[in-house]
Amino acid sequence: MTAVLEVTNLRKAFGGIVAVDGVSFEVRAGEILGIIGPNGSGKSTLFNCVLGQLQPSAGEVRIDDKLTTGMRPCDLNRLGVSRTFQLLQVFPQLSVRDNLILAGQEHQGSMASRLFGRADAGLGDAAGQMIEFFRLSHLADEQAGSLSYGQQKLLDAAMAFMAGPRLVLLDEPAGGVNLTMLGHLRERLRAYHAERSATFVVIEHQMEFVMALCTRVLVLAEGRLIAEGTPQDIRRNPIVIEAYLGH
Amino acid sequence: MMRLGGIAVAIASAAAIAAPFFLKPYGIFLISTWAVLTIAAIGLNLTLGYAGQISLAQGAFVGIGAYTVALLTPAGVPFFVAFMAAGLLSFAIGWVLGYPALRVQHHYLAFVTLAFSTLVFLVLRNEEWLTNGIYGIAGTSRPTLLGWQTGAARDFYFLCLGVLALLSLATWWMLRSPWGRAFVALRENPVRALSLGLDTRRYTLMAFAIGSSLGGLSGALYAPLVQFIEPSSFTLGLSFNLLLMVIVGGSGNFFGPFVGALIAVLLPEWLRVTQGYYLIVYAAAVMVMMAFCPAGVLGLIERAGGMLRAPRKAAGAFTDGAAT
Repeated sequence: MTAVLEVTNLRKAFGGIVAVDGVSFEVRAGEILGIIGPNGSGKSTLFNCVLGQLQPSAGEVRIDDKLTTGMRPCDLNRLGVSRTFQLLQVFPQLSVRDNLILAGQEHQGSMASRLFGRADAGLGDAAGQMIEFFRLSHLADEQAGSLSYGQQKLLDAAMAFMAGPRLVLLDEPAGGVNLTMLGHLRERLRAYHAERSATFVVIEHQMEFVMALCTRVLVLAEGRLIAEGTPQDIRRNPIVIEAYLGH
Repeated sequence: MMRLGGIAVAIASAAAIAAPFFLKPYGIFLISTWAVLTIAAIGLNLTLGYAGQISLAQGAFVGIGAYTVALLTPAGVPFFVAFMAAGLLSFAIGWVLGYPALRVQHHYLAFVTLAFSTLVFLVLRNEEWLTNGIYGIAGTSRPTLLGWQTGAARDFYFLCLGVLALLSLATWWMLRSPWGRAFVALRENPVRALSLGLDTRRYTLMAFAIGSSLGGLSGALYAPLVQFIEPSSFTLGLSFNLLLMVIVGGSGNFFGPFVGALIAVLLPEWLRVTQGYYLIVYAAAVMVMMAFCPAGVLGLIERAGGMLRAPRKAAGAFTDGAAT
């Protein structure tokens, strides 16, 4: 299996605090990799370093064997890497449909062609399909800000998929979502994964969600990787239990 | 709602065309000022209302455009060439002014643009060899377009109205294209926009450059309208006035600048009976408005329309780009 994402010795320090301390791992094509760890273990910082929101202090990031360390988020996104954020990140005053079109429009043509081309950038149908896929049809023309939290979370994920990325990094997709919606989200993520053979990396606190969705799990504590394995192994691993329950 | 909006636009357009036939020269001068300043306000609405980049320099761009035309036309440059030059020059300077916006936001950016505004004023006042300093430049002539002399007040008003119509259409086209969506995304959540592939740097610079060029084009009409320009016409006061037009009309609302400029141009005239109290009344009205309806006059109308239509759940989000 080839590696879609390869992280080598990644380190990020904020002043004296080392948030990510020499982390190396790879993400294989087609897998759903979970990254878990206690609060403050460096999971989100790791994502931010991989996707250009932050500049790593040291180390390398490769996507499809191409060195991408320090590239701008928008350029990485156009390479086919997409993400969601821990906190909700939709555009509240755009309609659900426009949120989705926006998420795909920069992947086609040049900036000039987008000015003179069609208003929906030729993405109207694709957005419609995505809306249907995430079962948001009845809300398509509502402002995203008027949706419930769970519905916005679905839209947030849908936006990450809009440009047909090969690799999607999901930062706590289940955070703050009620159980019914959670089951729905998990089922939709799995369906998308099966349909498009996309590769996912998921940061998550909700253990059930990780165990049910992921094929492999990494455990991060205090900026370092302390364990790796299948969900079943991780659940039984004494080091992991120690890290979570404290000293 | 769409149809109602269309009817409102048609009525307003008809009124704008018919108005000069019922007005005295001073009235025509006022509505010409409205048309000219609306262009600048549309530009600021683009930069501030849509793209969320605060600028206190729009008045300076009106000045740059006005001086460009006032200096070029006496040298024999045809008006429409000078007009385009004013737009292009403002575009270029606006692009450069956009760079600080890539680093600082909100009130910090306000101060950067405020400093720029002061800088332009100082150049206009002190570089006498070029701008004639505090004595200003008089007698910018009104153009002739394909044999149509626009020297008379009414003719020149129609020229301004025509330019306003063209530029409004162009702006409307841009805002309904993917660019419009990108500008709103820039205002609402630049971090997420960047992660979705938007080159936020280019869109920010574009928002500044296009907004500024509309300021310059407005100035290019302002010079032949008033036929006497001097540096003190383009101080911070004008920038604040344009900002007020955008916010009072409805920031981030396409028709906001039209309404805002109308209020800003006409209200002083109507309040003339109050003599010295005009500014006090105006300021109080703006404060009340901001407290109760931050989405501006058009926001108020939309809200009233929404309440009439369906007493559904009230959407809490208000449309204020400046506050984001």
